[in-house]
Amino acid sequence: MPSNNEYRGSVDTMDPNKIIERWVPQYRKGLLEFIILLRLKQGTTYGYELALQIKEVTSIDVAEGTLYPLLNRLKRDGLVVSEWQTQEVGSPRKYYKLTPVGQDTLVIMKSVWSETHNSILKLVMQA
Amino acid sequence: MNEMFPISSETAQKVWDNFDRELIHKLKPLPEEERNDVRLEILSHLYESMANAPINASGDAQYHNEDVRLINAISNLGSPDEYLEPLIADILLYQKASKGNPVAIWNGLRNSAKKGLMHALATLVLGMGYFWVIMIFIMSLMHMVNPDVGIWFYPGGEVSLSFEAQPGATQWLTEWFSLVGIVGSALAYWGLSKLLSFFIAKIK
Repeated sequence: MPSNNEYRGSVDTMDPNKIIERWVPQYRKGLLEFIILLRLKQGTTYGYELALQIKEVTSIDVAEGTLYPLLNRLKRDGLVVSEWQTQEVGSPRKYYKLTPVGQDTLVIMKSVWSETHNSILKLVMQA
Repeated sequence: MNEMFPISSETAQKVWDNFDRELIHKLKPLPEEERNDVRLEILSHLYESMANAPINASGDAQYHNEDVRLINAISNLGSPDEYLEPLIADILLYQKASKGNPVAIWNGLRNSAKKGLMHALATLVLGMGYFWVIMIFIMSLMHMVNPDVGIWFYPGGEVSLSFEAQPGATQWLTEWFSLVGIVGSALAYWGLSKLLSFFIAKIK
C-alpha cells in the first residue's frame, strides 16, 4: 500500500459541487442523440416540440439550438428523415421521422445502454 | 417571411428582423437551398417558442408581452454561434467533399485518420487512390507534349508508368492515352470523393 505521501499531486482541491455542476451537463449531453432517437421511436416530431420534451423528461438544461446540429448529423447518417409540413394556422414545421436504419441502430443503442447501465449500477452498489 | 411569422409588436418585429439578419449573415457560407432550409427551421422554432411561451400562475402582464416572449425565445435557443457553427461546418464538409473540393478532401482524410484501424486503412486506400488519380492526370497532360510519357507493358507482363520510351516495352493506348487518362482520372476523382463523403458521414 502506498503511503499518504505517495498520493500527493493535486495542490488545489475543487469543490465537489462544482465538479458535479460540470459533470452532469457533459454526461447528459452525451446521451442526447440516444434520447432523440428514443423520442422519435414514439412518433414524428419537430425541433421545438423535441426540445420541450427533452427538457421535460430528462431535465437536461441544454440550449434548444444545439439540437439542430445533432438532428442534421442523424439525417446525414440516414437514421432520420425530415419533411416540411405547412399548417393552416401558425408557422411551417419540419417533422423528423425515424428510418428503418435508425430503428435498427436504436435497438443496438438500447442494448449497449442497458449493458453499460447494469455494469455501472453494479459498481455503484459496491461503492 | 413576415407573412409566415406575423408579429404585432413593432419592437418585437425589430428584434425579429435583427435576429433574422444575423441568421442570414451567418448562414452565407451555405448553398442557397441548405441556407433557406436551416433559416426557416430556426425561425420556425423561434416563432413556436414565442407563441407557446408559458404564462405564469399570477398572469403577470410581462409574460403576455410579445417583446419579452421573443427575447426569452431567443435566449432559450442559445447563442447562434453555439449551434450554427457546428451545423454549417458539418453541412459544408459533407457537400464539399462530395464535390471534390481539395480542402474538404484533406479535412476528410485527416478526420478519417483519427478513427482507428479501419479508418486508417480507408485513409490509406483513399490516399493512394487520390495519388494515382493525380499522377495519371498529370501524365495525360504531359503525353500531349511528349508522346513517350505513358503506361508501358513489358513482354513479361510487368507494367511501368514512365516519362520516357521503354526499350522492349509496348506503350498502352499511344493515340488515346491523354483522352482516356483525363476522363478516367476525372471519373475516379469523382468516385473517390463520393467514397470519402460516405466515410465522413460514417465516422461522425
